[in-house]
Formats: sequence, C-alpha cells, structure tokens
Amino acid sequence: MLETYLPLFLLFVVALVIGGAMFTLGHFVGRKPLGPEQAMPYECGNDTRGGRDVKLTVKFYLTAILFVVFDIEVVFIYPWATLFKSLGWVGFATMSAFIVALGVALVYVWRKGALEWES
Amino acid sequence: MDTSLMSSPGVMMLFGLSPILALGLGGLLLMLAEAFGRPVVAHALEAQAIGAQPAGPEGQIVDAGAGRAAELALGAAVILFAGAIFSVALWLVGPENVTATERVAPYLLIDRFSVFFSFVVCLGGGIAALLAGGYLPEHRIERGEFFPLLVFCTLGAQALAAAGDLLSLFVALETMSLGVYCLVGLRRTSVRASEAALKYFLLGSFAAALMLFGAALLYGATGRTDLAGIGEAIAGLSGDGLEGRAAQILIALALLIVGLAFKVGAVPFHMWTPDAYEGAPTPTTGFMAVAVKTAAVAVLLRVLLVVFADERLGSWGTGWPPVLATIAVLSMFIANFIAGRQESVKRMLAYSSIAHAGYVFIGVVATSRSVDAQASVLFYLLTYTVSTLGAFGALILAGRYRAEAVSYEDLAGFGRRHPAAALAFSFFLISLAGVPPTAGFFGKLYVFKAAIQGELYWLVVLGLINSVIGAYYYLKVLVFMYMREPKPGAPFATPMRSGYVATALVIAACFVLGLGILPDTALEAAVAAVLGG
Amino acid sequence: MSVGAIFFAVCSVICVVGALSVVLARNPIRGAVGLLATIVGIAGLFLRLDAQFLAAIQLIVYAGAVVVLFVFVVMLLGPSAGFTSKAEARSKVSRIFAGGLMALLGALMLVLLAPKNPQKFGAAAEGHGSIEAVGGLIFTEGLPVFELVTALLIVAVIGAIAVARTQPGQRKPARVENPTLRLFHGPLLPRDAERPLSKAPAAQADPGGGMIPPTSLGKEQA
Repeated sequence: MLETYLPLFLLFVVALVIGGAMFTLGHFVGRKPLGPEQAMPYECGNDTRGGRDVKLTVKFYLTAILFVVFDIEVVFIYPWATLFKSLGWVGFATMSAFIVALGVALVYVWRKGALEWES
Repeated sequence: MDTSLMSSPGVMMLFGLSPILALGLGGLLLMLAEAFGRPVVAHALEAQAIGAQPAGPEGQIVDAGAGRAAELALGAAVILFAGAIFSVALWLVGPENVTATERVAPYLLIDRFSVFFSFVVCLGGGIAALLAGGYLPEHRIERGEFFPLLVFCTLGAQALAAAGDLLSLFVALETMSLGVYCLVGLRRTSVRASEAALKYFLLGSFAAALMLFGAALLYGATGRTDLAGIGEAIAGLSGDGLEGRAAQILIALALLIVGLAFKVGAVPFHMWTPDAYEGAPTPTTGFMAVAVKTAAVAVLLRVLLVVFADERLGSWGTGWPPVLATIAVLSMFIANFIAGRQESVKRMLAYSSIAHAGYVFIGVVATSRSVDAQASVLFYLLTYTVSTLGAFGALILAGRYRAEAVSYEDLAGFGRRHPAAALAFSFFLISLAGVPPTAGFFGKLYVFKAAIQGELYWLVVLGLINSVIGAYYYLKVLVFMYMREPKPGAPFATPMRSGYVATALVIAACFVLGLGILPDTALEAAVAAVLGG
Repeated sequence: MSVGAIFFAVCSVICVVGALSVVLARNPIRGAVGLLATIVGIAGLFLRLDAQFLAAIQLIVYAGAVVVLFVFVVMLLGPSAGFTSKAEARSKVSRIFAGGLMALLGALMLVLLAPKNPQKFGAAAEGHGSIEAVGGLIFTEGLPVFELVTALLIVAVIGAIAVARTQPGQRKPARVENPTLRLFHGPLLPRDAERPLSKAPAAQADPGGGMIPPTSLGKEQA
C-alpha cells in the first residue's frame, strides 16, 4: 500500500535535497559580509518596517476560527459527494440538514457582523 | 398507540428523538431570532433600571428586563421546557415501545435512563434560561449568544446521557463542554470571568484528553467502541487474553474516572470549580452546577455499570468502588470544610456543589452492592438540580447592577428588604442542607438508605457527619438574612426585581416542595429509569 | 526491517521530536512549528495504517488550518507571549512536580502495557481507509454522531462569536491615517503607525538571526 506513495516520497526527497543544497551552497559559496540592502527581508520590494512581533488584532482570530469550522464542513461534504448515488435520499436528507444547520450558522455569523472587517 | 400515524417508523423515530430534536431545531430558530432581532440597546436598559416599573407581588411577571435578552430568555426557556415536556411524553409512552429509535443505537440509546436525564437537564437548562433573562439585562451583559449556547449545551448534556458509544460520548461531551467554556467567559470585560473561563477551558481540555486516552485504550483492548460491546468483551476475557489486557483495562478505567470526576467537579479534581463558578455569570454557574454535573454522573453511571460491570472490576476488592468511595469522602470533607470558611456566598455554593458531588458518589459506590442505589442517585440529582438552581436564583435576586450580592454581609437584613426572596432562599438552602419537608431531605435519605442496604455503614456515617457540617454554612446564610442588620454605612446589595427570576424561583420552589411532600412519583420514575432494570 | 516498519519509525520520531519541541520551545512560534511536525508525523502514521482519507484530512485541517490558527493566536498575544525567565519558583516547582508525575504515569504505562501477549484482532477490510469506506461509515451507521457533530460545529461558531466578537458600538476601531500605509500593510495598529520607522525593533528582537539591523533603511516617516 505504501508503495503507492513512492513517487510522492521521491518528490519530497528531491525537494529537500534542492532546498538544502541551495542553503548550504549559499552559505559556503556566497560573499560573506552582506550589505544592509541584501540583509533585509524581502517584502515585495517595499522597505520592511515595524517589528517582527507585531500584535495582530483579535479579528484575525475570529476569521480563522470561522474558517476552521467551515473547513470541517467541507471535510464532511467531500466523502458524501463521492457516495452521493449509493446513499440515496437518506444521504441527501442528512446532508441537507447538515448544510441547512451550518447555513443558519453562516447567516448568524453574517448578521452578527463577524464577517465585516471594520464595524 | 395503534393509530396509523404512530405506527409509522419515521414518525416514531421523530417522537423518540423529540427531546433532542426540539432543542436542536429550537436552538437554530433562536439563533435566527437573535441574529435578526433588533440589537440590544444599552440606554434602553439603563432607563429601565432606574425604575418606573410597577412593583408587583412575587411570582407575577414584573417587566424588569424588557430588552432583547429577556425575549431571548423566554424563547430559550420555552424551547428547553418543551424538551422537558417531550421527555415526559416519551416517558409516558415508554421509550421501549418506540422501537424505531433502535436505528440510532448504540450511538444514542433512547431508554428510560436517558429520558429521565433528558428531563432533568432540560428542566435545569430552562430554569437557568429564566434566571439569565433577569440577570443578563440587570448586569448589562448584552450577549444574546448566551441563549443559543445554553440550548445547545443542554442538547449536548442530553446526548451525553444517551450516549452508548465512545464516539458519540466524546462528541456529546465536547459539545456540552465547549459551550459551557464560552458561557463562563461571556463577560469579557471582567478579568475574573476571563480567568475563570481560561482555567476551566485548559483543565477541561486536559481532562477530556485523558478521557480520550482511556477510551482509546479500551478500544485497543477490546476492538469495540460501543459500551455494551466493550462490557461483553471485558466480561469474556479470561486466561491469556486477560493476562495481556488487564493493565490496559485498569488504566482505561482510571483515566475515564479521572475525566468524568473532573466534569463532576469531585475532589481531587475540583481545583477549577470555585474559580470558574465564581467568575461565571450566576445563571451559568447554576447551569454548570446542575446540568453539566448531572450529565457527567449519567455517563459515569453508564460507563461503570455497562462497561465495567464485570465482577472483577465492579467488586469492592479489585474494582472501582473503593476509588469512588475515596473520592466521595474527600469531596464531602474537603468541600464542606472549605465552604464553611468562605466569605462569598457564591463561592460557598460552589464548594457546596462539590460536597453534593460527594453525596452523589456515595450512591454511585452503592450501586455495586444495592439494587436501589441507582434510583437513589437519579432521584438525588433531580432534587439537587431544583434546589441548587433555586439557591442561585435567590442569590441573583438579592443583587443589582454594580451591587451584586456576593458576601454574607451583603445579605444582612435581606429578610426585611425582600421577604419573599429571602423566604425562597431559605427554603432552597434548607433543601440543600437536607432538612424535611424539602426535596433535599428525601434525596439524601434515599442515597443513605441505599448505602445502608449495601452495608456501607461507614460511608453513611461520614455522609451524615458532613450533612451536619454542611448545615452550618447553609444556616449561616439564614442567620445573616434574618438576624443581622447591615452595619451602618456598609454597602449592602439591594434586591432587583425580575419576573423571569421570580418565575424561575416559583418553578424551582414547586419542585422542591412537591418532591419534599410527595416524593413517590419521582422516586418510582427513578426506579423505572435504572440501567438494566 | 520492512519499508513499512522504517516508515513507521521515521514518522514516530518526527511525532515525538515535534511534540518535545512544542513543550520545550521558548518561542511560541517555534512551538507551533513543532506542532506542525507532530501533525505531519501523525498523518504519516495514518498512511501506514492505510487510512489515506484520514491522512489527507489530518494535513488539510490540522496542518492547514489549526496550526495557522495557533500562529494567529500567538501573534494576537504579541511578543510578550513567550516564556519569561521570571517564572516564579513556586510555579516552577509545581510544573516540575506535575511533569514528573505525568512522566511517571507514562513510564508506568509503558511497562504495564508492553505487549507480553499482543492482542490480535481480525485483519482490517481491504480499502478500509478509502474515502468511500469512511464516508459510508459516517453516513449510514454513524449518522447520529454526524448529526451531533453538526451541533458541535454550531456551538463552536456561536462560542467564537461570543468570546471573540466585540459588540458593535462598544469600542471604536482605531484607524490609521496614512492611506498608503494601509494599502501596503493592512490595518496597522496605531502604535506602529506612530512609531519612528528608523528604529525598527525587529533588529533587537532577533539577535541570533545573523541579520544586519536595517537601521540605515526606511528613511521615510509614517
């Protein structure tokens, strides 16, 4: 069974080797004293500003947790979709109930303004 | 029951699941109602609080919190009481006659045991919703989320009591717990509430993880996840099979007991209880003290009596009874001693709920030896539910915005300021203390009787000693209410007026009195509800 | 040693190392990365058990979403969230005591649960970890649990709003004045907008990174 994943495994190995090689070569071959421009973290060509440890607002948390919840919804829908025909009407009704319930949750979230960035 | 409508399996299925479905659908409707209703406006509440409302007599609906929270509270209470009524209807028809629900077995077992618990937790949740309808507007906690959360928590508690499989057991436990964590932390501006929620959440997750580990070990030992199947597999073990798995099963037993004792809040797994109970809004405290505890005891009973019923595990010498007896004794003594030294009444009630967990555990221990013990535990939980919620409700009624009744001093002279509420408070406290003719007396009586039947005399003696210790701090409240006057200049809590809280108190008082005078009906129901009975 | 056994060993090592780094890392972000390693290791263990669907879900939900959520929370708490060396002696003692107790419990379990007499159950059915098999279980036999999960998810949604959502009108969101800053950096905190850019605290916060502090850069002012 695991043999199925051999190509995937090889891909990982190749990726690791290439990535590791670049870092190692850069360390040994590259010019040592970097100029300040080169030492800067790359941020789309803009100058970096502010500290590394920026405090995010709590809004990110709410968005992220709602994302997780609806992500899990999709996790359940996927196997249902693969079995759609064999499950028949019972399966359809089950999933309808599930989606309606989480639809209510979505409407709730929406109405509560949790999807709006600036309240 | 032979009408054509009722014989259809689909309808019977709906009927069998109606207590749970009522809460699920009702909760969704409540969410929509909350989301689409007009927002809570703080100044409207402010205007009400200043006064201009008729001072009605006790029990009459006095419009204290006509804000949104109050409407939602009414909705939640209707839903939860509907759940309770559906449970009663299902009980009268007899869950064993509703064979269609076998299709959801073993994940949800719709038997008399689960229907009984469904009634108790719905009743507790409904009363808590009414309490919140008075408490939240009064204390400016403009959080409509409270009510859908409460409904879904109660649903989780129902499902927990009905769970007959490790999978559904864990999901139901998490549904209940997750909601309660949020209910505790609802008052976000309060540092104390945040601390309470965080403590409860971290320790609760840890306990859930231990329990999950225990469940995994059980699955590893038996290859089953349904409780009955695990029980059979364990009973069937012998010789070599037993040799390899005994340690595994014992560790699983220990982990499950730890996890559930945590949810019950029994010593030594009680550390979170006082802080969480004190920091939470009082209706939440009441809900945690009754519904969460009740559901956890239900699942503990099911786990012990179905999975670990084997005589090697259920016997006094080699099984769980001595462990639970130790927990019971520790809970009673430690909680009662600390409760007596509290200055905050709310904290005292928190410790008192730990002590009551101890009394309940006496009954649970006695199930290993006495047939009546299970029924006594069920009856005790019913009496405890109404008495505790009543006490918390009276405490709510004793305080106002920014002047919540917390300490004994706050209650000084309460008997004169608000005679009806003080009377109700005294009544619930003597029920908690176990004085006749209240529900609490019969609750304790039956538990001790079952323990005597099981020849656990020493446990009964220790329980009686603790009842006396407990009476001390319950009566201390009475002393302050009736025999002390507030010190001159000392801040004391002025009582609030709320029809919701008053209604909740009346309902609780009816139950306390009814169970105290005529305990027979409820006791018969409890006897009929026992597992394997 | 078969390929499967080697795979199992590698995944287990990844799990344990990741878990240890979660516990021991002083920087919470490193802890989150350790958690990521554990999750990937567990996904590997699922694969070893032929549970492909679970392995995929493990990666998508846990590695993809939950770890990101963790990182968010760490960022919410800000730089002061890491361990401080000022931990009280008492808490240290209790931590060591509790950790020792748990380690003892773990060791006890290892000894007690060491398979003297390994349990054998029947072989799992062919393809038991496929999407069809898992889905079939969820949507036929396990339907009640599935519906309970619905309730759990709804509780999670309401709970998240109850705990994290500020009520409208309670607090006014602070706005950053410079629109260009907003364009490039999203909603910066006002604190950062006012801070002189030439003294970027990144340089002090990361002494071991081998980077030259960009003090000469960032000449424009906010």
